[in-house]
Amino acid sequence: MITLERRANVTHWTSLRSIGIALIITMLVSVLVLFIMSDQPAQAIWQMLTFPWQGRRMEVQLGLVLQQTAYLATIAIGLSVGFRANVWNIGAEGQFALGSIGAYTGYLLLGSPETLWALPAILAAGMIGGCLWALIPAALRVTCNTNELLTSLMLVYIGGHLLTYLCIGPWKGDPKAGQAETYPLPDSLRPATLISGTELHAGLFILLVAFIILAAILLFTLLGYRLRVAQHTPRAERFAGFSPNNTVWMSFAISGAMAGLAGAVYMTAETGKLIQAENYLENFGFAAIVIAFLGRLNPIGILLAAFMISYVNVGASYIQAALRVDDSVADLIEVAALFSFLGTATLDQYQLKFTRTLRKSRGPEVLS
Amino acid sequence: MSPAKTSALIETRQIGKSFGKTIANQNIDFQVVPGQIHALLGENGAGKSTLMKIICGLQQPDSGTLFWKGQAVEISSPKLARAMGIGMVHQHFALFEGLSVAENIAFSIDGAVQGPALEKKILALADKFGLAVEPHRPVFELSAGERQRIEILRALLQTPELLILDEPTSVLTPQEADQLFDTVRKLANEGHGVVFISHKLKEVRDLCDSATILRAGTVVGSCDPRTTSPEEIAELMLGSREIKAVSTPRDTGGERLRIQNLTMSVDAQSLQIESLSLLAGEIFGVAGVAGNGQELLFAALSGEQLCRPADSIVINNEPVGATGPNGRRALQAMFVPEERLGHAAVPHMSLIDNTLLTNVTNPDIVSRGIVNRQRLIDNAGQISERFEVRHPGLKRAAQNLSGGNLQKFVVGRELLKQPALLVVNQPTWGVDALSAVRIREALLSLAGSGSAILVISQDLDELLEISDRLAVLHQGVLGNARPVHEWTVEALGLAMTGSEDNHDHS
Repeated sequence: MITLERRANVTHWTSLRSIGIALIITMLVSVLVLFIMSDQPAQAIWQMLTFPWQGRRMEVQLGLVLQQTAYLATIAIGLSVGFRANVWNIGAEGQFALGSIGAYTGYLLLGSPETLWALPAILAAGMIGGCLWALIPAALRVTCNTNELLTSLMLVYIGGHLLTYLCIGPWKGDPKAGQAETYPLPDSLRPATLISGTELHAGLFILLVAFIILAAILLFTLLGYRLRVAQHTPRAERFAGFSPNNTVWMSFAISGAMAGLAGAVYMTAETGKLIQAENYLENFGFAAIVIAFLGRLNPIGILLAAFMISYVNVGASYIQAALRVDDSVADLIEVAALFSFLGTATLDQYQLKFTRTLRKSRGPEVLS
Repeated sequence: MSPAKTSALIETRQIGKSFGKTIANQNIDFQVVPGQIHALLGENGAGKSTLMKIICGLQQPDSGTLFWKGQAVEISSPKLARAMGIGMVHQHFALFEGLSVAENIAFSIDGAVQGPALEKKILALADKFGLAVEPHRPVFELSAGERQRIEILRALLQTPELLILDEPTSVLTPQEADQLFDTVRKLANEGHGVVFISHKLKEVRDLCDSATILRAGTVVGSCDPRTTSPEEIAELMLGSREIKAVSTPRDTGGERLRIQNLTMSVDAQSLQIESLSLLAGEIFGVAGVAGNGQELLFAALSGEQLCRPADSIVINNEPVGATGPNGRRALQAMFVPEERLGHAAVPHMSLIDNTLLTNVTNPDIVSRGIVNRQRLIDNAGQISERFEVRHPGLKRAAQNLSGGNLQKFVVGRELLKQPALLVVNQPTWGVDALSAVRIREALLSLAGSGSAILVISQDLDELLEISDRLAVLHQGVLGNARPVHEWTVEALGLAMTGSEDNHDHS
């Protein structure tokens, strides 16, 4: 019989070990999935693992991975702020959209400038957009005690429709385009590419800086501390003099601002314009929820998890092109990772114990 | 294995159990015969709870054998234990906060009785045993004392042959405890076996006819508590350690705390204090049974609940009714709540991080929102050194400490700041005897150095030992304060149950 027993000692080593186990399970499941979905499984597994070195230019493929990593990690660390404090903002996708809209609004308000110096203001406008959108569920929770899971999620769809509306309505751009979109930003305003031929641009650098600043705040300041206190013990939170409502406001403001910044960078750097929602949003806001938990709400963990998931995503698109394996394989691997990471997290606190005797019956019978 | 040849209801032979490297039980021989009220004595961490958990199926022993009515058994689950006739009332409550009293009871008894029939049964039992409960009230509204009554009731509803009571009287009034003792004696007379776990030797001597004493996971002795002196039993429990608290003479000085015309009402609790003045160097005791407004009194003083007008609470001559906890801490007022885990400390956080909990506005440790980690670690180190906190490492989670050591830590965290006013709720609840003595000594020496201390406690002996003045909190109303030597235990007991006019006319 197998039982779970609370560990007497919980150390970093036990955490690392359970992460290792989760990685192994994820890999085994991935191999299994590729075996089922591919005619040439060995080939698929090999290419999935080594795809950056398969094509002509390694830096292009790795660039794609790092590009996704930056967006996912930025949004995920913002979300982790709330998740640490039991504030469930699952609407980052909407805040990302409003970040893009905010940035475009900033661009229009500044009178469609041409010079790069307007970029910080435009990005700031994006942060404000994401932040304000996130404050709606915060206000509803604080004033009406509404469940923020529902409100933040519903605002994703409202945000998406708002984006599409702007593209087909007031800000409608080139009518000959194959999709509803706004007029593009001038090239002079878009963050410069850092390594030519790759997707690595200065905007990703900005995201990295924002990530590091927030990570430092979480690790070293009182703000990070109060969020950790708030996570499980609202009474201790009040005892320490922290107001639970302020925690809700702050969590939403920070996660909204981070998603908004990601949206603003995405708009200025990747697309250069707003596009109707279904052609614009890439589910970064939802994937970031998974990343936050895969990374155990820890900044370094989040960075690694974002890299891992991006690697899988880009790798899946690669083998889709190269070997015609459907790229939904990435979704399966992501889910497998989520399950095994959450499942093995139990092993941090508990250990499996195999008891010697097998009981045949549960009755109070005589043993002899 | 051969069946045992005793008439014991339950018998354990050579029971061993360890958690990781911690040995909780080692070679434990223990038995209870029908009709016996058997005391299980020992400090916190001596292994009493583990042994009882094994008997009631919550945990499986690593070694040794259990015999139920002479037959070797494996008690694989609490459900099986209940079916066999073993009932347990736990010290820590296992209740669903969102459910009502009746629903909680319906959940745990395996019978089919539900709804009005169950309620009738509950009320009949409650009446019979003097355990007042209201079946419809949700548990989250109830105090610790009321919650324990539910636990006792739901064990009794199973009509167990063996009933285990884990510190059942810690939150009862003397009168309620007496009623419980009557119940227990009745059960014993009917041939049931009772295991009675307690820290209070006096009740063990009044109630029990045999006792087993545990220390550090092993049986160190057994005796008839009626004929063995309390000193002998205490020595067996503690080994040969000094257990007398030292008291220091004190001078009283200026006024540290004044409460006037304070009336507040939050959820189901209310609080009404006409006037109270606390001077430097004085220890003021607030007695009362759990659920009589202690939580609200503490929250009102700590600033977790604000009150109007602001001058209904005055700390160090500053009106603070509208000031939160950290504003009050800035006036050198410090607070120690009753619940160690979840209120005074965050269970999964390290001792270092828990040191920060009441130091977030301490300029030595936090400046401009940035935590000075080194000073924090030094502070945590000083606390554990000065207050003899035995811990497996400052980086380890608070939940890894025993109750006594964690309590020394959360009390020490405030004492280290040399508060002008200290408010402490249940300073030694569920704490082993030695730690309790240390904590009381520390409180006395703090008062000796000129601080005012307000102690809220349900342990009368404790209050009588350390307080200078004492008042009783009953149904949210704080009665008149009198110097301790003017009180008697009987008078206190009566005031605590509201049987006596608490606002005396003299």
